[in-house]
Amino acid sequence: MSDHKERLEQSLSALMDGEATDIEMHRLLKEVSEDSELRAKWKRYHMVSAAIKGDAATATIDYSAAIAAAIDEEPAHRQSGLAVFAGSAGRFAIAASVALVAVFGVQQLNSPLDSVGGISEFAGVEQVDEENTGPAIQFPSGFQPIINARTVSAGGNNKSSQYVTPVIEVRQQVKRKYSEAELRAYMNDVMAKHSNHAALNSNQGMLPFARLNETEAAAQKE
Amino acid sequence: MVLSRLFASIKVAALVAAFLLHGPLFAAPMESAHDLMSKMAKASRELNYQGLFTYEFRGNLTSVKVAHGVDDGQTYERIQHMDGVQRDVLRRTDNVDCLRTGDMLLRGSAYKINDQSYARLEDFYEFHIKGQGRIANRQVVMVHVLPKDKHRYGYVVAIDKQSGLLLQSVLMSHSGKPLERFQFVDITIGMPFVELGFDLDTSDFAIAALDQSNCIDDNRQITTSVSNWSAQWLPPGFVIASHQIADSNGQESIMFTDGLAVFSVFIDSDPGRSLPAIDANLGATVAVLTKADINNQEYAICVVGEIPRATANQIASAISLSPTSPSSISPLP
Repeated sequence: MSDHKERLEQSLSALMDGEATDIEMHRLLKEVSEDSELRAKWKRYHMVSAAIKGDAATATIDYSAAIAAAIDEEPAHRQSGLAVFAGSAGRFAIAASVALVAVFGVQQLNSPLDSVGGISEFAGVEQVDEENTGPAIQFPSGFQPIINARTVSAGGNNKSSQYVTPVIEVRQQVKRKYSEAELRAYMNDVMAKHSNHAALNSNQGMLPFARLNETEAAAQKE
Repeated sequence: MVLSRLFASIKVAALVAAFLLHGPLFAAPMESAHDLMSKMAKASRELNYQGLFTYEFRGNLTSVKVAHGVDDGQTYERIQHMDGVQRDVLRRTDNVDCLRTGDMLLRGSAYKINDQSYARLEDFYEFHIKGQGRIANRQVVMVHVLPKDKHRYGYVVAIDKQSGLLLQSVLMSHSGKPLERFQFVDITIGMPFVELGFDLDTSDFAIAALDQSNCIDDNRQITTSVSNWSAQWLPPGFVIASHQIADSNGQESIMFTDGLAVFSVFIDSDPGRSLPAIDANLGATVAVLTKADINNQEYAICVVGEIPRATANQIASAISLSPTSPSSISPLP
């Protein structure tokens, strides 16, 4: 018996340290309801621990008996046979539905795209490889170049910078003289041609045409 | 006793129910993602339809009204941008029967790269059916298309259950962010051609000529002129879809597809153009322009497509003139 007691006290101090196992906890709860000596010890331990932590040690009243009595009084805890049945059936129903969910869940085939924000998010530009995001300079007709630090004067500060719908984003790699208009014409041309190709080969119906911006669509008509 | 027997019978009943409920999912002819994709390839070319779709990227939203009809072996398309500058495009494709590389790959056929190797869409994408949804007031099947490598993007597509038409397509970055979204808001499918209102006699159709995209021949390859340019590296799964010889501006182009993604390579030999080496984005489309100096001749090589920028860069730097025929691209006189 003293052996048993010793073990209980060890469990109790483990509980005080927050290291008690589930089994120890259950045993303590069971014993503490019957063993007033243990209950007193528990209370003492708590007061000591509270004192050490600097809390006011006010827990001198034992509520446990009153709480236990109050729980017994509650109608919800007086179990009838039907309640036992309903309780078990309910548990089983939950288990069965979990199984069904598991079955359907597997059927659904999870994909990595499920875990992300989803497709309802607004579409954006992938930023992963955009390392050179220097000051943006506006080209006419909706170009929005992202030019790296080496090149700063590629034609900004004209009235075209008031364009607010960036359509083409340009990142310049090499500093060099070139004609802005020529570049624009070239980009529009190749993008229009690409869209035409893509419309025939991507199997996405008319989607590629939507990618064309205004000037490109005009160029394509010519 | 009675209760436990009752439980036992409930359990059996539930198991039977569970089996019956999920059984048909295995057995029923639920269309595979692959069937859906090939149905989609066919539908977008062969059906008559008209509707309104939205296209969105980077917070820009445009809406486009389209009509698509097939009459007498010819495909007619009308594309009308509903906002901004008035833009209407009328387009005609002369041979509805022409099967192209992209069609073929998407229909599940293998494209013959050479006698030993074939390109198959499934080798480069995973397809997951994600259940059903509703787009443009129609029942759709949602399919997630996931790339198996970093050289292409993924898609979330919604395919019309009844017709197989693509009603939504969201291009997804590798980090799972939408790059562009194409989505019908209203569509009518399967009306007679006359109801589409194409004016065949007076309208000026831009002809999507044959040489813009070559048709597949019996040998499961495209018949095309051989380019002097070749890519020393291509992302796996991409095969040539068409090749156009140098036009009057000295521009040659080659297009590649893996069945879903498409990119074009433009090679300009005109030295008169002073183009910078530059990277550009148009929505989800990237353009990588590089300069190459070969045999004292300056070339501009531009890769354009809905592919990751890193891939486009890699392709651009891998384009080279075949050593066997060094000077067959002649610059402008």
